[in-house]
Amino acid sequence: MFSNQRLSRLLTIWLSCAATWSNAGDSAQLESTSLDELPLAQVRCIGSERSRYRSPRQEEESSEKDAHASNGLPPQPNLAAFETTVGPLLERHCQDCHGPYESEGNVRVDTLDPNLLQGSDTDWWSEVFSVVAKGEMPPADASDLADQERQQIIDWLAAELQKASVARRASADHSTFRRLTRYELNYALQDLLGLPWNFTEELPPEAHSEDGFQNSSHHLHLSVSQFETLHRIARSALNHAAVTGDPPPTRYWDISMRSAGAREWSKQDDAMAKLEKKLKDDPEKLTQERERLQASFGKTPRGAFFHDLANDRVASADWNYRRAQYAFSPVNVPFPEPSQESCVAVLPHGMGARLIFELGNQLPTEGTMRVTVGTSRVETEGAGIPSLQLFFGWQASNEGRALIRVSEQDTEVTAGPGETQIIQWDVPLSEIYPRNAVRTTGTMGQTPSPSEYIRIVNSSASPAPAEIHWVQVAAPVHDQWPPPSHRRIFGPGRKADDEAQRAQEVIADFMSLAWRRPITDEEVGRKLDLFRSMRPSCESFEEAVVEVLATVLSSPQFLFVSNRTLESDDVGGDTHHRLNQHALASRLALFLWCSVPDQELLRLAHAGQLADDSVLMTQIQRMLTDAKSGRFAKHFVHQWLDMQLLDFQDFKRHVPGFDPLLKEAMQHEPVELFEALFRNDASVLDFLHSDYAMVNERLARHYGLAGVVGNQFRQVPLGAGVRRGGLLTQAGLIAMNSDYPDSHPLKRAVWLLESVLGDPPPPPPPAVPQIDLADPRIAEMTLKERIEDHRNHAACMSCHVKIDPWGIAFENYDALGRWRDKIAGKPVDASSELFNHERLDGMDGLKRFLLLHRQDQFVRALVSKLVTYALGRPLAFSDQAEVDAITTVVRQRGDGLRSTLEAIVLSELFQCR
Amino acid sequence: MQMTTSMNAINRRRFLRGSGLSLALPLFGSLPASSASGSTAARSPKRLACFYFPDGVPMPLPEDPGYAEWSWFPHGGGRDFEFTKCMETLEPIKNELTVLSGFSHPRSRSVHGHNNADQFLTAALIGGGDRQYENSISLDQVYARHVGDQTRFASLVMSTDGGIGTARGTHTISFDHLGKPIPAEHRPKQIFDQLFLKRDVDSARRLSLSRSALDEMLDDAVRLRTTLSESDRRRLDEYLDSVRQAELKVEKTKRWLDAPLPDVDGGHLNLELGVDEPREYLQTMFELIYLAFKTDSTRVASYQIGRENGVGRSDHLARAVGFNVAHQLSHETKHPDGWRNFGTYCRFLNEEYGRFISKLRSTEEALGDGNMLDNTLLLFGSASSAFHLSRNYPIILAGGKSMGFQHGQYLNHAGMNFQGGPWLGKREPWQDEAKGEDLPLSNLYATMLNRLGVPTESFADSTGMVEQI
Repeated sequence: MFSNQRLSRLLTIWLSCAATWSNAGDSAQLESTSLDELPLAQVRCIGSERSRYRSPRQEEESSEKDAHASNGLPPQPNLAAFETTVGPLLERHCQDCHGPYESEGNVRVDTLDPNLLQGSDTDWWSEVFSVVAKGEMPPADASDLADQERQQIIDWLAAELQKASVARRASADHSTFRRLTRYELNYALQDLLGLPWNFTEELPPEAHSEDGFQNSSHHLHLSVSQFETLHRIARSALNHAAVTGDPPPTRYWDISMRSAGAREWSKQDDAMAKLEKKLKDDPEKLTQERERLQASFGKTPRGAFFHDLANDRVASADWNYRRAQYAFSPVNVPFPEPSQESCVAVLPHGMGARLIFELGNQLPTEGTMRVTVGTSRVETEGAGIPSLQLFFGWQASNEGRALIRVSEQDTEVTAGPGETQIIQWDVPLSEIYPRNAVRTTGTMGQTPSPSEYIRIVNSSASPAPAEIHWVQVAAPVHDQWPPPSHRRIFGPGRKADDEAQRAQEVIADFMSLAWRRPITDEEVGRKLDLFRSMRPSCESFEEAVVEVLATVLSSPQFLFVSNRTLESDDVGGDTHHRLNQHALASRLALFLWCSVPDQELLRLAHAGQLADDSVLMTQIQRMLTDAKSGRFAKHFVHQWLDMQLLDFQDFKRHVPGFDPLLKEAMQHEPVELFEALFRNDASVLDFLHSDYAMVNERLARHYGLAGVVGNQFRQVPLGAGVRRGGLLTQAGLIAMNSDYPDSHPLKRAVWLLESVLGDPPPPPPPAVPQIDLADPRIAEMTLKERIEDHRNHAACMSCHVKIDPWGIAFENYDALGRWRDKIAGKPVDASSELFNHERLDGMDGLKRFLLLHRQDQFVRALVSKLVTYALGRPLAFSDQAEVDAITTVVRQRGDGLRSTLEAIVLSELFQCR
Repeated sequence: MQMTTSMNAINRRRFLRGSGLSLALPLFGSLPASSASGSTAARSPKRLACFYFPDGVPMPLPEDPGYAEWSWFPHGGGRDFEFTKCMETLEPIKNELTVLSGFSHPRSRSVHGHNNADQFLTAALIGGGDRQYENSISLDQVYARHVGDQTRFASLVMSTDGGIGTARGTHTISFDHLGKPIPAEHRPKQIFDQLFLKRDVDSARRLSLSRSALDEMLDDAVRLRTTLSESDRRRLDEYLDSVRQAELKVEKTKRWLDAPLPDVDGGHLNLELGVDEPREYLQTMFELIYLAFKTDSTRVASYQIGRENGVGRSDHLARAVGFNVAHQLSHETKHPDGWRNFGTYCRFLNEEYGRFISKLRSTEEALGDGNMLDNTLLLFGSASSAFHLSRNYPIILAGGKSMGFQHGQYLNHAGMNFQGGPWLGKREPWQDEAKGEDLPLSNLYATMLNRLGVPTESFADSTGMVEQI
């Protein structure tokens, strides 16, 4: 926790990154020759040293402020300094364009209220501060503002803005009372019920706030139809979890490759018999033809095939839906695990190879289907690792069919030839949509066919066939009855005679988990009344309990985050905004798990131990180690980097170099990097540039990296000359900001400014002239030339000059994020000039510039995004001082991502409403 | 049925299970509406019925000898057009209907006709093969969401084949707001009992549970409210409003459960029919819609006369006119009399549709404001024209004059530039390049919804409205 004294010291540093900038101006030019030669890692060190957040200089300045704050007087605006120095400077250097005669960009500085503490122009002053500090204003070629004068403006504004932010924080009343998002609700139900299913498909997707976040309190509305859906979801989820009566009988399928292949062998035998019959009078030709046919039986087919190792015979694995002729029948008793057989199925990689095991119409509507497969590699040597996925499908007629992937993660086949590796998938059948609708009404063997099948797919990115030895299926399987999800709610099978007594225990336990706080007797009592009133209309005790628990899950106490604060008796004075322990546990769980707190967090909250920073640190560590933290990585990164753009990116079917495997890898890459950083507490500057990449085989091939085998992501060191590392060169992020087959410098620039640097450009004015492609002069230009042409329009100039150069730097990356040296035969020109006339030479130049001059800006932007997400509300002016305080801690502790998360959780912002 | 989705999914719970889920009690319908009963309104209600037939229609090319008599589409255009034998039975009601050509759903124009019934009322991209199946809300259900809570049943969903069929081989043309198929009922007796005889005990039980639950949730939220700050309360109020609205809807539904069923004498109907008596079966299905409308039991009906690609029981409807199975007729148009045979079957469907139109026209509204046809909008069509070709849908729109529809027209957008001809056994018309550019059929749907009083000017992928009707 920051002490008050330290806090106020840190607050003074706000705006610091920009201040660095103006100092760095000339020195950068001086150093530029030598800096261009240095490796990026060293550039990063130099850049870090320039950080105002890390700089000890701040200590001296702040002592005066401390004195001021500690003398107990409310802060006062420094109007005298404005009148004597800052005001006249602005008048001289800004008012020509932003004054009574001209108001470029609708900005006037002459009318802004210099009293930031009480005035209403703080947002405008923030803008002024930002552009002056970054050196964007006044324009370099139209200004004689001396560095020292610039510094005067910056210093005055920095101090005034900081005072104003702190002053407003005290009086701000933020509402963070919000509904859980769709995905949070889904995870909360999963964690509460212990069922990893998708419960919230029916809910509409959430809107994204201006910052790009879905959990923003202002956007999470609730309509009557959403409410009804939520209630329905709650009831159906509980009904999935709870059971009544005896376990439904399990059916078992045992499929050996010998029996699956038997059909193919008999086809071959038939062909041979037919030949012998046809040529029985021509022994010579028969011998010839027989040999030819025999040879064809040994030839490796293109798709999946059966291989009889005893006689080295092979045959394609065929399948079609007609007459359900390929279906295997189940029995009622389990099979022992098969021993290795001499007949196997060989499954090459890719969706082209079809290995289907048809199971008929006996699979139940609900319950778990367990598929167990014995498998190995075909070769030890070779480039790739086979990787298995499970699909579920059916085909009822020529047109009616479906194929759905039901395995979540690919499973690598590590067993060598001759060994057997057992892979098992548990699939909740109720989650599969659509099922074959005629399975309960149709007749096996007739059309439409009621049969369903499973299919195994080898998703390896390179040719590495898998061998399937046997397949066993059981459904529905229940390792326990009643299942754990039932016991979780109703307890371990105790059968109290008194229903009301039992109901009370079950309901009270469930309520305190779902509402994540202690429940009063009165609250339980009311639910018990409801139970009593419902019980007569319900067939069983369980049904009535489910009805009651559904109201617990449809209550705002479950659906909303309330952020209750401590009772004013608990603490004295000005900390009345502080969250109580249970609210803090909820906020923490939503932040790092996208879900409700678990038993341990609630236990600590009950015991009041979350007030202890060291306990909090231990919990953060535990939570980030838990697999549930993967949800945080996935959802935060997705929203932070606006990756819905990539989800929607729908390349036409036959784009060379692109396939679904690549798209999946592209979607994972930024998330993998994020996870690696918080696992290793590595520096967030790795997002700007790293000397390693997180890739799997498919992505490595896209990047031209050799030696990466398998579908799992891993950290791969990048040698010199590999133009990757960090977020900016990730193929998916570049591809989603492209306009296939062209790149799109403008989109890339806007994305960089918005998502990465937290400095969104203003929206385009309403009357933007279109680029006229019918003009032959324009049609002949390269994209970059076109952009420059467009920029020369007066109406476009003022904005584009600040945007375009950033995007031009990406030009060496094509619409799929691949490196390129030429565009349509012309060499790529990825160099551009920034507003301050500094040259930006391609991606390397961009990274150099950011690492040297914009580290503070980037770290602060990331902290802002994380805080916005953690609080579930947009940040206000009054939060800025605290964001700077967190940024200071982060920078001084070496920029680690886990340290960043810790600093956020320990901050005033996080711990207060 | 919409209702079951709001209900407990426990298997043993037998809520309306046998009824085939075709009728939708508006338990959690859509919009809050004015007064509960339509029969007290000053004006007769606006109704919508949609019909689908499979297999396309005879499309002989102009140079074909079969063109003059057996082209499904009339000859001419605008107000100056003549029916061929396919439609001549509609002559007496020519001024009650509009034939349209050159309309189709853009997303599915290059898809094989067998897959296309699924998207006739939805305009969704259905595609073929192993593509992930997705659908969206159908035209009839958009209207049902608008008026469904004003009648006992939100909509009546029927088909000859029953159930939901399979993805891309649908047995229902109605899809809910999530794009899930709404099971269709095919048994006349079940439909009749559901409409006019059943007392729904389990619904009453279900409703009373919902009511208790909502009461408690409201209490709970009101109590929470007192502990919140002013700004937090505003957000919770959305929740409170939602619970209150849900309570109102339950109250309304309960009134329907308590209200007496309409007294309908089914004596003239043979409800045990199947497709072995195809003409009578079809007439009975039309009659059930007529009765449901007349008693204001619902204002929305859909009926899929047959599934695509034969194989179902609907294929036997061709026995009404002396053929064995219907789908085959569309394959055999190159045979001698091929166009005539196929045309004869289509003529039978048109004739029965016409009988239904005439019956609505000759029935006065109970409120005395004109005949039922003028307040009832009818859409009749298929998602293929020429062999398996998913363009230039054959469409006959009828009724709805009180909503401003102008009839007695042939909107011949396709003109003489259409694809057709017999299938010669090789390349099929759907594989060929399109000859002309169809208009989005959703434009017609948007127009229909708008004139039915739904406050919208669009549907699915519509790009405008069809003003000429």
